[in-house]
Amino acid sequence: MENQTHKAHRPAQSGSKAGKKGKGKQNQSGFNEKAFAPKSGRRADRQGRRNVERDQTRLHVPLVDRTPDDTPPPVIVAIVGPPGVGKTTLLKSLVRRYSKQTLQEAKGPITVVSGKKRRLTFIESNNDLSSMIDIGKVADLVLLMIDASYGFEMETFEFLNILQSHGFPKVIGVLSHLDLIKNQSTLKDTKKALKKRFWTEIYQGAKLFYLSGVLNGRYPDTEILNLSRFISVMKFRPLVFRNSHPYLLADRIEDLTPRENIRTTKGSCDRIVTLYGYLRGTNLRQSAKVHIPGVGDMEITSITRLGDPCPLPDADSEKRRKLSEKKKLLIHAPMSDVGGVMYDKDSVWIDVPGNFTRGTVDVPQGEGEQMVMNLQDVDATLADGVSRSQIRLLGSSSRNLAIGTPDASQEDESDASQVGSEEEYDADDGEEGSEARESEVEEDFHDANDLDSGDAPTTFRGDRGRESLRKVTRSMKDISRENENVGDLPFADSDSELWGSNDEWENRDKPSPLTLDDEEGKEGDGDVEGEDDDDDNASPAWKRHLSEKATASYMERNRRRRTKDWMSLIYSTSVTPHQIISGNEVDAPDDDFTDLDDFFRLKKTAHSYDDDLDMTKEVLSPDNLQEWEDEEMLESLRSMFITGYPSVPAGEVVEPNDYESEGGDFEDLETGEYQRVPQPEESETARATALVVKKEALKRKFDEQYDDPEDKMDFYNEKKDEINRQLQLNRAEFEGIDAEARALVEGHRPGTYVRIELASVPCEMIENFDPHYPIIVGGLLPAEERFGYLQVRLKRHRWFTRTLKTNDPLIFSLGWRRFQSIPIYSLDDHSIRMRMLKYTPEHMHCYASFYGPVALPNTGFCAFNSLNGDTAAFRVSATGVVLDIDRSTKIVKKLKLTGVPFKIFKNTAFVKDMFNSALEVAKFEGANIRTVSGIRGQVKKALSKPEGAFRATFEDKVLMSDIIFLRAWYSIQPRKFYNPVTSLLLSDKSRWTGMRLTGQVRRDEGIKTPLNNNSHYKAIERPPRRFNPLKVPRKLQASLPYASKPKLMKAQSKKTYMQQRAVVMEPEERKAIALLQQIRALRKDQVARRKEKQNERKATHRRKVAKEDALQGEKEKEKRKEIMRVAGMRSKREAEVEEGRSRKRRKI
Amino acid sequence: MPQAGPVVTYSGHQYLRQRLALSILSGKPARIDKIRSEDKNPGLRDYEVSLLRLLEKVTNGTSIEISVTGTTILLIPGIISGGPVTHDCPLSRSVGYFLEPLIMLAPFSKKPLQLTLRGITTDDNDLSVDLIRTVTLPHLQLFGVSDGLELRIRKRGAPPEGGGEIQFLCPVVKQVKTLNFVEPGKIKRIRGIAHAVRVSPQFSNRMIDSSRSVLNRYIPDIYLYSDVYKGDESGKSPGYALSLLAESTTSAIHCSEAVSQPGGTPEDVALLASRALLSEIRWGGCVDRRHQNLVLLMMVLGSEDVGRCRMAEPTARTIQFLRDVKSFFGTSFKIVSANPSDSSCTELLYSCYGIGYVNVNRTLA
Repeated sequence: MENQTHKAHRPAQSGSKAGKKGKGKQNQSGFNEKAFAPKSGRRADRQGRRNVERDQTRLHVPLVDRTPDDTPPPVIVAIVGPPGVGKTTLLKSLVRRYSKQTLQEAKGPITVVSGKKRRLTFIESNNDLSSMIDIGKVADLVLLMIDASYGFEMETFEFLNILQSHGFPKVIGVLSHLDLIKNQSTLKDTKKALKKRFWTEIYQGAKLFYLSGVLNGRYPDTEILNLSRFISVMKFRPLVFRNSHPYLLADRIEDLTPRENIRTTKGSCDRIVTLYGYLRGTNLRQSAKVHIPGVGDMEITSITRLGDPCPLPDADSEKRRKLSEKKKLLIHAPMSDVGGVMYDKDSVWIDVPGNFTRGTVDVPQGEGEQMVMNLQDVDATLADGVSRSQIRLLGSSSRNLAIGTPDASQEDESDASQVGSEEEYDADDGEEGSEARESEVEEDFHDANDLDSGDAPTTFRGDRGRESLRKVTRSMKDISRENENVGDLPFADSDSELWGSNDEWENRDKPSPLTLDDEEGKEGDGDVEGEDDDDDNASPAWKRHLSEKATASYMERNRRRRTKDWMSLIYSTSVTPHQIISGNEVDAPDDDFTDLDDFFRLKKTAHSYDDDLDMTKEVLSPDNLQEWEDEEMLESLRSMFITGYPSVPAGEVVEPNDYESEGGDFEDLETGEYQRVPQPEESETARATALVVKKEALKRKFDEQYDDPEDKMDFYNEKKDEINRQLQLNRAEFEGIDAEARALVEGHRPGTYVRIELASVPCEMIENFDPHYPIIVGGLLPAEERFGYLQVRLKRHRWFTRTLKTNDPLIFSLGWRRFQSIPIYSLDDHSIRMRMLKYTPEHMHCYASFYGPVALPNTGFCAFNSLNGDTAAFRVSATGVVLDIDRSTKIVKKLKLTGVPFKIFKNTAFVKDMFNSALEVAKFEGANIRTVSGIRGQVKKALSKPEGAFRATFEDKVLMSDIIFLRAWYSIQPRKFYNPVTSLLLSDKSRWTGMRLTGQVRRDEGIKTPLNNNSHYKAIERPPRRFNPLKVPRKLQASLPYASKPKLMKAQSKKTYMQQRAVVMEPEERKAIALLQQIRALRKDQVARRKEKQNERKATHRRKVAKEDALQGEKEKEKRKEIMRVAGMRSKREAEVEEGRSRKRRKI
Repeated sequence: MPQAGPVVTYSGHQYLRQRLALSILSGKPARIDKIRSEDKNPGLRDYEVSLLRLLEKVTNGTSIEISVTGTTILLIPGIISGGPVTHDCPLSRSVGYFLEPLIMLAPFSKKPLQLTLRGITTDDNDLSVDLIRTVTLPHLQLFGVSDGLELRIRKRGAPPEGGGEIQFLCPVVKQVKTLNFVEPGKIKRIRGIAHAVRVSPQFSNRMIDSSRSVLNRYIPDIYLYSDVYKGDESGKSPGYALSLLAESTTSAIHCSEAVSQPGGTPEDVALLASRALLSEIRWGGCVDRRHQNLVLLMMVLGSEDVGRCRMAEPTARTIQFLRDVKSFFGTSFKIVSANPSDSSCTELLYSCYGIGYVNVNRTLA
């Protein structure tokens, strides 16, 4: 086909086309320069700069993404919005899209597989502020639902503000209820307006989705499909906080407390709880502490890696899936009603519908059930009952019937319990299926109350109908929790016990102290072994064989060292470091020889290394270093220097000749000697390879010098490359190790499905568990476990209506935690002091200091006054960032001490009422004081007479009426108050109340605000002060220079000439003036009349308006009356209904 | 109020410094009991008490409780505040004893540390200030603690009377860099400082000559500085010492030191130091054996990445240090032979996963 010949094209030789084509071709050669040439140099410059700027905007600070590429944890997709906006419908639609299953009830996180490399965990957020905070901290993608028929609601904005302060995840807006808007143009306008607002909130161009009506309880499939496509291509940038903390969104919770404990304490004992979920963030270590928002800080008892319940498809699983295409797709949602089989550490849970629970009292119970339940209620065993009973064998017996031997009673007990449990199971079997099906987790809890399954949570506790247990098939090997103190020095409670045993086994290893020979002794304390034990005195004999001996000992040491497994020696034995070094490690201090001891034992010189100092340097012993006198020994080290022969062919090694020519200045006899040492014969191949290496090095050098500098990586790429290299190294370093050891060294990696066991969890968390509220396990950094004073930069939110007051409790959401604390606001006063503020400033940042758990500087937070949902106002009261952490604060507030002078000399005054004692005055000697009028002075010395009075000097004479004050600074500390928000422990989780404000307490208790009489504001009456005129004696005046003479004179009493003279006018002038006067008079009269008329008009108008107002008022009054009448009737009716009901009830 | 964390308990007076430093860094309270409880002179020594006082000075909110007998201490660490601190060290130990734990703490303080220590600058037991300046600080620089890191030797003080004064300046870092140092390289230069105070200045030259007689055979790039302090700067007692360091092509440093003994000659001191350097070089690795602790600690405190370092076998101090690190930070090292194919290789490869320690004390305000 390819070699098929076509008829060649023959261009027209003549005609109109002949000329055209050629011309066109000419034009097409290259682009038109004119079109692209810059018109002016300035413009070209601007264009170039703009391009560079645009390039820079693309760059972001390179962040390390620590989630592994192969199996990343599922992306958390949170669906958030006000109630009734269609969250559950969207969740169900999305789950159906991915798993082809319709959920009846969607509770808790739901994990589905969405693609080859991606899984999604959907979680619906309820309207509680606490859960919105928690979800905002873990969500990778938020589907923010907005009711288009209503518009934005307060919750939406609150949620966005929470997101902003904790690291902004990706947000997709979803508009629902669009079908309620019938008019097309209104619809268009609404969409436009909402989009504009949404873009200003998030960023220009943020994705906004439109969902039209609901079909079959779901959104239209095409719209959901589109949304799912957007979700699947979404890229995520690592967020700083999440990239430095391990965390987990629990998708399953189990209570492992021994049932007996729960029963005996009536459910109020601390629980042992396991939480399951995918690890996210960074690696979670065994020893880590975690915080569960809403519950508190917990210590992890153990972490176990479990098989992935919702694995990503690999080649193998894909093959299998093809055979059963119709099979349901993977979905993992233990809190909802799907996913029948669950794998645990050592058991498999199969969920079978139908169950029996105790709590349901309204369901009629059969006789058998009643009996079983009565049996369960029995607190004491039969034996106890009998022992307590008053049965006498015979009426005349003096003693009650007693139980015989203890073992007999035990047997009885066990028999009884066995019988009881069997009966119970029977009853359950009979009843199952008739019960309403409850959520699995709840079942478990009821189950916990029902049945004591013994101490071990793993014991067989099936037979309940709905769940059965079998031996493990797929469980991962238990990665046992490392024992923290394994690697430590062994410590016992008493000295003697421990060291005694240690000594013993130390002792066993060695011969008895009496027969201890030199060799052993040296091995014990010398770190470089003395190989020449028997002859200590230096003699030519040892010198001769020194090198052989040295090498032999070196090899010997190597051999022995080689066999050492350093990791296990260091971390999993309790051998002392010195013993490890000296090589006489005994693996375990067996206790078998403790029994062959006699009563008295010689107290050993217990700590053989006790007397040595904590030294960094080792003691240099000339004897040990004597080996370096040997020539061979010295030569053996030559390969360690660049002048030596390469032990392995390396490219970088500089040959000795080269070196000498470079560093000729340092040439001396010794090197010359070295040159004379014959080179080892090199083979031709070696020389050739060396040449190749050399050439390559030269080429590299040349390239570096002359190559295009543009090829070199810029700073940004270099950093990115560095991060990638480190990540590769991380992956490679622990590649070969098995998962167990790996978890020990680096912790559990993100993406693994783990089971976290927590001890001593408050029982309320289990009893009041509600799957609608997310459970987050947030790992804490070591620093975050501590408490201290935090200094934060804070700004009151501009939408929060009230100002914030110092010492009013505030609820912070900081790090993983939500807690209430008492902040003190302050501002930096000219960089001299931190000055307390009573209230937060308007439109400005201020500092706040409070006591609480430490968070890393630069962590964002938001604060609330209350988390209750019953306020319509905006609830985020402040946002900010952590600046500093300390154990003390340096906030001061101003303190003014006032006093009054009681005796005044020239510039000296005696002041009283400022201090109470001479001692206080002594503390303030030399302090600056000031009068109200601004005269500055100093405290000098206390006076003896009125207690607390002092002498002070001023820069001028003060008045008796002056008040003198001393400005001081009083340092204050924030109150040490920390109250974690334990909302998850409540039965009504949105009703958490912390410490109330003082005003709230007063309102609730009906206490009036105490009023200080002096604090009343009232008009201040100040009598006008009269100042006597300044009188300068005439004599003095006379001698004063003119400038200093008082210039003020009396007002002139004599008439001036202008006032005095008489004016005689000419007739024309007189006439003209008369005319002017007449005109003016006329004008005046006219104006007066006009004004009168206007007033009249105004009066009539006013009358009219008043009449209208009166009419309107009448109407309004009528209307109000009508409304009140209706309201009254309604309330009356309600009251009647209420009464009737109560009457009815009474009748019953 | 709640103080986080369980108390880490130890007994015995040994390894006190590293445990105190680890406790302060990790924030976990430490309790050390049975301190020389069996000794004729039980309890803490004066230098240990002095160290505790110094730690109290550089931190804020630290509470140290010492039992009546002095055999038990409880340290509840505060935060490392840094700033200007002056401390008079007792004459029983040199300033190196006090400086070593502080070098571990200083990069993580709130303000840059300006520490002035007075006392003995060089003695037999601890690293001399010369070695700290020329070897320890470059080791710290491997981890990105470099700008403004300085040790000034104002006065030298030889035992027993001391009278020296040094100033240690350390910058504050947010996080230390991850170390990946597996190439020991070949030794390219040898440097040394021969110092002499209150003795003939010729002593230092004699030490230099004697040391060169051993070391010149290997490499020509040898500079040994003669550092003679006079008058007020020379302290109260006579003494001299030679400290040597060998630097490789990859800037791995090995060091040694010898201090004058009464009745000894400078030549003996120099020979001792040179030979000790040779045996140190024989141990191999990228890090000097005296600085294993410092390097391992900084590796643990690095970001959450794998840090690797090739070193010689651990010393007894290092072994205990590794155990202590595990109890404070929960991190264990992977320790394997550096060259598994070569059976005679004694060098080990230490690798660990950093805990991502961030300097929380650093202030943004």
